[in-house]
Amino acid sequence: MELPDSTAPLAARASRESECDAHRAPRDLQRALLLILATLWLLDAVLQVQPSMFTPGPSGLSGMLNSSASANPGWIAHTITWNASIFYHHPVLANTLCAVVQFSIAFGIVSKRTCKPALALSIAWALGVWWFGEGLGAIFTGGATPLRGGPGGALFYVLLAVLLWPSEGSDQPFVAARTVGPKAARVIWITAWALMSLLTVVGSGRSPRALHDLVARMNSGQPGWLAAIDRHAALLLLHDGTPLAVSLGVLCIVVAGAILLPPTLTRVALVLAIAVFASIWVATQNFGGILAVGATDPNSGPLVVVLALTYWPLTAARATPNATAPDSVVVAKVT
Amino acid sequence: MTMTPSWLYYLCAVLMLAAAAYCLISLIVKAATHRGSGWDIDIAHTFMGVSMAGMSVAQWAFGARVMWEIIFAVLLTWFLARTLQSVRHHGVHLSHFLVHAAMSLAMLLMFRFPVRVRGGSPTGSMSLSSAASRLDPGLAFVLVLIFFASAILTLDSSARGASHHTPRGSTSAMSASGRPGSAPIQSERRFGRAGGVRGLADAPRLEDASHVLLCILMGFLLIVMI
Repeated sequence: MELPDSTAPLAARASRESECDAHRAPRDLQRALLLILATLWLLDAVLQVQPSMFTPGPSGLSGMLNSSASANPGWIAHTITWNASIFYHHPVLANTLCAVVQFSIAFGIVSKRTCKPALALSIAWALGVWWFGEGLGAIFTGGATPLRGGPGGALFYVLLAVLLWPSEGSDQPFVAARTVGPKAARVIWITAWALMSLLTVVGSGRSPRALHDLVARMNSGQPGWLAAIDRHAALLLLHDGTPLAVSLGVLCIVVAGAILLPPTLTRVALVLAIAVFASIWVATQNFGGILAVGATDPNSGPLVVVLALTYWPLTAARATPNATAPDSVVVAKVT
Repeated sequence: MTMTPSWLYYLCAVLMLAAAAYCLISLIVKAATHRGSGWDIDIAHTFMGVSMAGMSVAQWAFGARVMWEIIFAVLLTWFLARTLQSVRHHGVHLSHFLVHAAMSLAMLLMFRFPVRVRGGSPTGSMSLSSAASRLDPGLAFVLVLIFFASAILTLDSSARGASHHTPRGSTSAMSASGRPGSAPIQSERRFGRAGGVRGLADAPRLEDASHVLLCILMGFLLIVMI
């Protein structure tokens, strides 16, 4: 089959060269991670405009929001039901506003000029979602196990926005250190994983029945292959829920401490953490319920993976953001 | 009961038609000026925009299902061939044509596993229910992630002053290569010496915008079909 190329030979040559150069030029890692974050925000925004989100009454988004109030302390539950009442009475307006904000964050992160305001907005928005939409990640109800997304997917958006806040400097020893510095970045990492470790073994986090029900509830509406995974996971959790929860807690502690170890051991721990949380994302979080109907976000699985990538130990050569200098030159020329 | 806002589907359909119209104009201009680059992408985008508008608003749909299936099967084959061609010329890499192949595949799947419009409301307020043979939600989700990642990467390229449609020229990469010979080609493309309709069709940012729009809207339709 004869395939066309550019008609002008010069343009064709330039095109080929450009494609090769584009593939050779390493991308600024902080920027690359920001683009992944923007992609997740875009997914959230599109999920927000699903038809079911505009449904008025308790079967719509307001019902979903109300359910996160249950078992929370009275005053927290009151704020959540108050917010849900807004969605109950004005589902189209409120939901459209939510979608617009999330689209703004996604597109805002992409543009270098609007990246910082968009990240600031994402922090405020995610904290609001964590409170009003996720019921503070069920921390106060004892059901905030990381298997379910605890301490709340929205908190990871906040964490990533802080760690990936655009700044100049070196990516050594890892990208997360570029803005807040290595010491603060390590403290954040250890705190986050220690909290996840704690949440796996407190409340209903280590109860086999609760863990079984958590997965069994997700089963409805899932495609056959995922429902089959759910059934196996639910049975496994029913029989060995407590040992599994304790093992996950130990793993989280190991991953927390691994940031203080030599780079090779840190990488091993990060690979383990990524593999485990990718499995959790599939088997117990069911991709945030996106494959069924009515999910508003992909849950914490992919965000934990992105968080782990921001802490990936880098060699001195790869950690130099000047690798993207040509891009900077072009932006300056164009704008 | 799910209540679907009809305005949302009308809005999507109008945006899809706008993207399709732009690509059609661009295609006509390229044909008139004998420029061969990017016409296949314009054709694909035009078909995608028009057919997705028909999916969003029932009464705007036209053509037999089998016709669309053939069109998108041909486009899928074409872009896979172009991906192979690109790999042969530049070595193993993620060619942009692969995204267009994925988009063609998604369109093919959407026609192969259609969702039934319950009640067939002419307003386009579609209460979608799964047909007997259903598009696998896992595959649909993977495609959604590809399209959203492509939309974000395209926006990023555009923000850096380059078009993500590399075969049409990439400002940053070419400048980065430091080859002065490539600069005039780009500046002509980027700023478009010709005005009017020709200038409009030459604008890389509009090309990128139409790609981003179609990626997001296709992702939305796939999510609705899940």
